[in-house]
Amino acid sequence: MEFELDEEQRMLRRTVRETLAKVRALPEDRRWETYLELGWLEAPPLELALILEELGYTADPTPFLATATWFAPLTGRLPEGSGTAVFDGTGRYVLDADRADEVALLTPDGVTVVPGARLAAERVAVLDPNLHVAHVDASALAVGVPDLALTGLAATAVGACRRILDLVLEHVKQRTQFGQPLGSFQAVKHKAADMHVAVERARALTHFSALTIAEDDPRRTEAAHMAKAAAGECQRLVFRHGLQLFGAMGFTWENELQLHLKRAQVCDLLLGTASAHRKALLTA
Amino acid sequence: MKLADDHEVEEFRARFSAFLDAHLPAEAEARERSRSSAHVPDWARRWQRTLFDHGWLLPGQPPEHGGQGATLPQQLAHLEELARRRIYHSFNPQGLGIIAASLLTFGTEEQKRRWAVPILRAEITAALGMSEPEAGSDLASLRTRAVLDGDTFTVNGQKIWTSGAHDADVLLAFVRTDPEAPKHRGISALLIPTATEGVVRRPFGSIAAEDDLDFNEVFFTDVRVPRENLVGPLGEGWRVANGSLGHERTLLWLSYAERLEDLVRDAADVGAGQEWYATLRMDLTALRLLGYRQLAPDRDPAEISVLKLLGSEAVQSASLHALEAHGAEALPHPARTGPYHHLNNEVFVSSWFERYARSFAGTIAGGTSEIQRNIIAERILGLPR
Ligand SMILES: Cc1cc2nc3c(=O)[nH]c(=O)nc-3n(C[C@H](O)[C@H](O)[C@H](O)COP(=O)(O)OP(=O)(O)OC[C@H]3O[C@@H](n4cnc5c(N)ncnc54)[C@H](O)[C@@H]3O)c2cc1C
Repeated sequence: MEFELDEEQRMLRRTVRETLAKVRALPEDRRWETYLELGWLEAPPLELALILEELGYTADPTPFLATATWFAPLTGRLPEGSGTAVFDGTGRYVLDADRADEVALLTPDGVTVVPGARLAAERVAVLDPNLHVAHVDASALAVGVPDLALTGLAATAVGACRRILDLVLEHVKQRTQFGQPLGSFQAVKHKAADMHVAVERARALTHFSALTIAEDDPRRTEAAHMAKAAAGECQRLVFRHGLQLFGAMGFTWENELQLHLKRAQVCDLLLGTASAHRKALLTA
Repeated sequence: MKLADDHEVEEFRARFSAFLDAHLPAEAEARERSRSSAHVPDWARRWQRTLFDHGWLLPGQPPEHGGQGATLPQQLAHLEELARRRIYHSFNPQGLGIIAASLLTFGTEEQKRRWAVPILRAEITAALGMSEPEAGSDLASLRTRAVLDGDTFTVNGQKIWTSGAHDADVLLAFVRTDPEAPKHRGISALLIPTATEGVVRRPFGSIAAEDDLDFNEVFFTDVRVPRENLVGPLGEGWRVANGSLGHERTLLWLSYAERLEDLVRDAADVGAGQEWYATLRMDLTALRLLGYRQLAPDRDPAEISVLKLLGSEAVQSASLHALEAHGAEALPHPARTGPYHHLNNEVFVSSWFERYARSFAGTIAGGTSEIQRNIIAERILGLPR
């Protein structure tokens, strides 16, 4: 097995980073157009995971995640505009259900696509200011989450966690107390090291999951549970240490940190937390 | 990135597998336990020799050093195949994986011929003398002194925790040759035959049992060592030590992967249905994946610390969970009477209690978890020292 990104994948990652740095200040719909133009929605699973990691890194506000990893794997195509899917049986907390142009419903007979406007979606206000989630009336749906949907959430969480860690590192190198940078204190270093290990572990399992989907490997469902569980565990550690190491500054709205903490946490809460996926792994 | 091995690795793995089928000695099933990490039972000496002669001992090396010039992915496949069958290729892991490996990197041609090759052929065994009573994590503060006079060093001082020294023929010892130089300079690496006059070894028991003798204190009193036993340039021992530690940590992460795999198998009966068991499987998968990634060219060697930390801590927490899941059933201690495992020199058919206690070897030896965290924070994440 080869577990390092190849040159093309590294190049894609560079392009994504550069693009995201440029579109940062643009309104949401302009960003969305850029992603469509660049063909990111059509990327194969591993490349998609790389893109999502970078989008997670910037707490992207567009409906990319739901469109690429919820709608697309269920319907086998891309939507006109943006899309999402309802597959958890309850119809509650569906990502982007209030704004998607098309919604895929997983029913006992298969997949049905309805225009988003036809769906009476009720947006739910949540802590993450950039997040769209809504309840839809879909109680008769079957349950079946595509592996790619779990992997997409995991990749996004990994990106958010990386961003939190980077912000923490920047902060503890600059801020001094007791006449020294915080980062020279070992209690701080050890937390940072544990965060790094958690990110590396989750990222490896996320790439593995994407790879099993790309190659339709029999381990794919198991791998998707692992990725989602590891990303959830990672965000929990990174949230806790990240906020703590910023001190009171981390407890403010003005600090960018809050956006990423919330994004990482959301990715764990949607479609089953780490604990649920550890349990699922045992029976996968 | 791809899941499948490329053709060359697959072919290599199949060839090794066929070799094992044909050559694995029947005695491997014998219940003869090794006494220490530098004691090699007779049948195991022959086995290591067979591996050497066929180029299957250290496949990455050239044929004269027990290899066949294999690529890194092929070398990993080789180790995986051994682990899968729970086969150890050497009962003297420090000798093979650290000391011989260091000599092949830093040694003279004569040192390779005289020491490295005999270690590889299991004709002699070796132990690693780094730690001292006052120099553990802070290895660079070691005090054992060697004074060079003409062509002879005279060594005085003490080492401790030297695994298997009482069964070893030679020590790779780190000594201070220049007391005036700054801490990290002035250290040199010396090969010291244990039979030399003035070398006294005192083995002592581990946490597992009073007679579980692997640890040693080693005392040097006016020990005379010829200059030709100096490994690397005089005063450059720190570089050799870091090279050795690199070999050691590589060896260690692979051994944690094996250990985790054993745990996945052995803990299945109590673990099935429990979340910690899922975590164990995730840790194993992640460790292997990160290990594969480390094979790519130009990886930062500091990243081995990620593997060591992740692997050793995972083994420890999984053993603790297994212990807890067994409750009082974890108490009986079959180590003395239980079956000796197929070619496995770690007596891990012992109780969960013992397995948990032994798991601390991983979080302490070869640089503690705290030291690994320091390395990750400073060398990978760039935090100030
Ligand atoms: C099973 C086993 C086999 C071994 N085999 C060998 C061998 O063959 N040859 C050999 O030379 N040595 C061997 N060792 C010794 C090993 O290398 C040392 O135990 C290890 O380097 C730690 O040193 P120490 O035990 O002196 O602990 P200390 O350095 O005294 O540390 C004690 C505690 O303090 C912590 N600590 C120390 N410094 C720091 C710091 N800067 N920051 C934060 N925490 C710190 C440590 O992490 C640890 O928790 C072996 C050890 C074990 C357990």
